[in-house]
Amino acid sequence: MSEYAVLGKRVTRVDALEKVTGAAQYGGDVHLPGMLHGKFVRSAHPHAKILNIDTSEAEKLPGVRAIVTQDDVESGRRVFATDKVLYLGEPIAAVAATDPDIAEEAADLIKIDYEVLPAVQDVMEAIEPDAPRLHSDDTKDSPARRAITAELRKLERDKSPADHSARIAELNTQLEATEDDVYYNISAETHSAAGDVEQGFAESDLVVEDTYVIPRVHQTYMEPHVSVADVESTGKVTVWASTQGPFAIRSGIAGTLGIPLNQINVVATTMGGGFGGRFGVALTHVPAVLLSQKTGRPVKIQMTREEEFTDGRPAPGCVIKLKTGVKNDGTILAREGLAFWDSGSVSGASIGSTIRLRGVYKFPHLKVDAYGVYTNKSGTAAYRAPGTPQVAFAGESQLDDIARKLDLDPVEFRLKNMRVEGDPVPAGPNEPKVGYKETLQAVADAVDWKNRTKGPNQGWGVAIGDWTNGCGPGGMFVSIHEDGSARIFHGSMDITGTDTALAQIVAEILTLSYEEVAITRGDTDSAPYATGSGGSVVTFTMGNTAKLAAEDTRRRLLELAAERLNTDVESLELKDGKVSTIEADPPKSIGFGELAAYSLSTTGGPIVGKGSFARKPSTPALAAQIAKVEIDPDTGRIKVLKMAASQDVGFAINPMAVEGQIEGGAVQGYAWATMEEMQYNEEGNVNPGFVDYRVPTTADLPTVESVIVEVEAPDGPFGAKGVGEPPITPTLATMANAVADAVGIRITELPMKPEKVVDALHGNGK
Amino acid sequence: MKKHPVSLTVNTDTYDLLIEPRKTLLATLRDTIGLTGTKEGCSTGDCGACTVIVDGKAVTSCMMLGVSANGKEITTVEGLASRDQLHPIQQAFMDKGGYQCGFCTPGFIVASKAFLDENPNATEAEIRHALGNNICRCTGYTKIIEAVMSAAEVMRNS
Repeated sequence: MSEYAVLGKRVTRVDALEKVTGAAQYGGDVHLPGMLHGKFVRSAHPHAKILNIDTSEAEKLPGVRAIVTQDDVESGRRVFATDKVLYLGEPIAAVAATDPDIAEEAADLIKIDYEVLPAVQDVMEAIEPDAPRLHSDDTKDSPARRAITAELRKLERDKSPADHSARIAELNTQLEATEDDVYYNISAETHSAAGDVEQGFAESDLVVEDTYVIPRVHQTYMEPHVSVADVESTGKVTVWASTQGPFAIRSGIAGTLGIPLNQINVVATTMGGGFGGRFGVALTHVPAVLLSQKTGRPVKIQMTREEEFTDGRPAPGCVIKLKTGVKNDGTILAREGLAFWDSGSVSGASIGSTIRLRGVYKFPHLKVDAYGVYTNKSGTAAYRAPGTPQVAFAGESQLDDIARKLDLDPVEFRLKNMRVEGDPVPAGPNEPKVGYKETLQAVADAVDWKNRTKGPNQGWGVAIGDWTNGCGPGGMFVSIHEDGSARIFHGSMDITGTDTALAQIVAEILTLSYEEVAITRGDTDSAPYATGSGGSVVTFTMGNTAKLAAEDTRRRLLELAAERLNTDVESLELKDGKVSTIEADPPKSIGFGELAAYSLSTTGGPIVGKGSFARKPSTPALAAQIAKVEIDPDTGRIKVLKMAASQDVGFAINPMAVEGQIEGGAVQGYAWATMEEMQYNEEGNVNPGFVDYRVPTTADLPTVESVIVEVEAPDGPFGAKGVGEPPITPTLATMANAVADAVGIRITELPMKPEKVVDALHGNGK
Repeated sequence: MKKHPVSLTVNTDTYDLLIEPRKTLLATLRDTIGLTGTKEGCSTGDCGACTVIVDGKAVTSCMMLGVSANGKEITTVEGLASRDQLHPIQQAFMDKGGYQCGFCTPGFIVASKAFLDENPNATEAEIRHALGNNICRCTGYTKIIEAVMSAAEVMRNS
């Protein structure tokens, strides 16, 4: 790869200073004159009919300014529960008062009469016919029944003269026999297949079947949800929102409250983490707007950490039944997966990711069926590579067991079966240029895998996870100022350092130093549209946009310079913030500042480069990790002795930021594997705080060694791929595989808390 | 609710305030005084985002009442840098990339300062133990520890 001046350098982030001094303005830091504070009245039961809502006592409390319920939502879209609550902590009303403590007092004074209904919290119980039902029209056929009905439909449609009546009768008998083979409380389903799994299993020497259970976990971004809404007397709405997608928030508010887009301005504040959980509008944004509409004053709503746990939108847990068939030489032939995703009270769990059970391996035969299941919990949302850590845990745990049974090296076994460029992807298109093998090999080399050693109760685990970065629309402007410096103006949210990457791209193309390029994020009233910051989308999308905008700026600079230097554009180039002649002797050049000043009096006007971008093919990326652990057989504690994580990032525009993503993702995966779990009983969530919901701290882990692999993405800016999501995908299995290697026990139900490890050790007779 | 007179010093400025007894020191700093660098992450003393230094000791300001801060000297993240120079810990967090979303960063920097002031020769293990009260969700801690280790060295040499 050629040497760049700014790209590929470990530059300090553009937002570094404001973040280390406390100057950065997050949503909660917005304070407007006359601002009121909103609090929610929340359901006290996981499943109940609402018989009556009495707000009379609350209205009398001095300082209370407004109370809103679902009656205030004219569109009818569910913001508050009305006839029935579906989970503990579901909002029923919101109160605005002059002080947050008064608002909380008022919320306590609102009396709700309930008729309590039986609740269901477990997915496998929820699909049974006798389970409490959250919604009507929620029954779906099992995969077996689907196969029968699919064949029936095919035969009934067949126009050929062949007589199918005997087979049709047979199938109808089968259908009657499987009348009960249906699932209840189903919110969504997805099915994919390639080849013939039955044939694949028949040809296999070894077939392994397991059930994996992965818990619901919370993204646990450090800043709880917050919004400040200010509705002017003209009806114009301004919302200061801590969100990953300001433009999505704008359309969400517009759709829910029937307000034209040009009457809503979303000012996205600095955001205290998101990880996929900060796209929705209903949690705080819409209620704040409703309260501001009703009071004519600005209203702030800030969720507490407890509310985050009861009413956030965490990552779905799931149960995965998995079957894999291989030949004795380690050739994988077939895989069949059936997943039940806990979607909570609304549809929307990451069930589409179940197809990633295929991993990056050549499965000639594959069948994947997935169902979303309603339970009495809050709905779910994305969490870093949504759905993939769960399925990679199942897939990569099972492959590890297979390697052990066949006495194959787990790295070699994976390398043997990995797809390369041009290979067919089961139930998908052929592979583009990918770096799967390079990435796994890189992490193996980093730990000297072949020469690894271990002491008693120690073990090594390896696993991989794949993800494909998203791509979306984006627009951007680049201006050149009269002193020769540049400014980027755009509307996409920066969480991970993407603004820095954009500044690096623009600086590189314009031959400016990194320090000469400033970047501003506009609100939705001023900035061009930008896709939401999720799905590892920003560097790929906005990076391509930045490239276009910088190239447009360069074109205008060259045109202006050609005029000034009396030459043509072809004989000019950009160099060190100047436009210079390529070959002329003596060389002539003119600075960007002079050109910018000159542009102000030209017919063409000021130098504003524009980039507008919608779509290019995304590229799959692999993360591979190896952990060495030691188990304390008395306490069951898993100590990580080493954690190495490699990732194919295409091209690391800022290696420091890339390492940060790899390190952070791996630690989140480690936490999901060993400690995190939202726990529920019949009353609802029972661990809504950091004392009972443990997340890792500095004391838990050693340094994560990140290994950057660069296999160029054909359509990425300078070859870059999305970086944020892949690093969490392998870690759940990496940890479980390390534990299995250390003590010979396969734990299939996460998290591997010490008590679970101790139980497993005892169950194994140790 | 009846308000009580409270006098406290924050980053060398003295404030004479009237505050309700139910307001925390965190709410007093953020809402009454308007210093919003100190963050509210959990309100239960478990995440460390609201860490400030009270009379030399690191305190989670969501767990201390504003009225209890009467007569105390408080340092927040806004009080660490001088007019023309960052505190070495702030500089190290910048240079080493010891933050991402930045929400936990003020708490980490203030907690690190309180600890390193008392323990200038701390080992990595001691630093990891001391910062175990602060939660960061983005970084995986690797670059935070690098930053604090490097700042400790700078502080020792100055």
